[in-house]
Amino acid sequence: MENSLWIKMHGGTTHFPIALVMASALFDLVGLIIPENLEKSRRAGFRAAGFYSLILGAMGSIGAVLSGLVISRWQLWGRGNLAHHHTFLWPAFGLLTGLAVWRLVVGNHASNRAFRIYLGIALITAALMGAAGYWGGELLLKG
Amino acid sequence: MSIEVKGLLLGLVTALGLLGVTFGLSPLFQPNKTTDANREQQANAASVASTDVLQGDAKRGYGLFDQSCAPCHGDDARGDEGPSLYNLAKSDARITTIIKGGVKGEMPSFAKKFNDADVQALIAYLRTLKD
Repeated sequence: MENSLWIKMHGGTTHFPIALVMASALFDLVGLIIPENLEKSRRAGFRAAGFYSLILGAMGSIGAVLSGLVISRWQLWGRGNLAHHHTFLWPAFGLLTGLAVWRLVVGNHASNRAFRIYLGIALITAALMGAAGYWGGELLLKG
Repeated sequence: MSIEVKGLLLGLVTALGLLGVTFGLSPLFQPNKTTDANREQQANAASVASTDVLQGDAKRGYGLFDQSCAPCHGDDARGDEGPSLYNLAKSDARITTIIKGGVKGEMPSFAKKFNDADVQALIAYLRTLKD
């Protein structure tokens, strides 16, 4: 496949996981803030939205990483902006995978304390993905 | 063992496994790994010698090239994803246009990254690349 098509594919696929992980963290944060006794069903709704956003984001990240590896000729680090991109990308990818698996295994049985720790890590992951996306944009638009 | 700890362990194993597979397999897909390694070795040896003699704009241009252009044009500027930049038969104006405007679908624009002085420094470095 022509390289420019992979570049477009990477640009297209990579925004889904970034947006979904950020949305997931936001949904979970709102779900945590809503008082449980007053808005139980709404809280569950936000948790479910957070869960599905995270799982879809994690699945989408595989396509984004794969297309990114193709256009960088399978360089895992590189230099310049590519190195900046990868510095944030690999920790984010690892954390995202771990969070998705944790959430799949634990389901709705997480204690409040464990879920707060999870949410903290999810927010860090969202920030890392945002930073990876920023440097990816710098790489594609400004070299 | 609580389900949270089980989830944590499984999550860790999966994340490290996926990263391990990615980092393990990627080198196998890298094109002409041996050739590239030899070429990089030669380029490094050459660049140590050649960058020593670079001065002024050309030396600064090499720094800019190394940071922004080498990922595509190769550490030795002999081409990788992008073409070789040795023996360029293009005018300074044409090179400036390409650097600032990019090449659609092939090379990004560097207009926001490099000012006129940077482009001149890059051109000064490119003019030293002759066989």
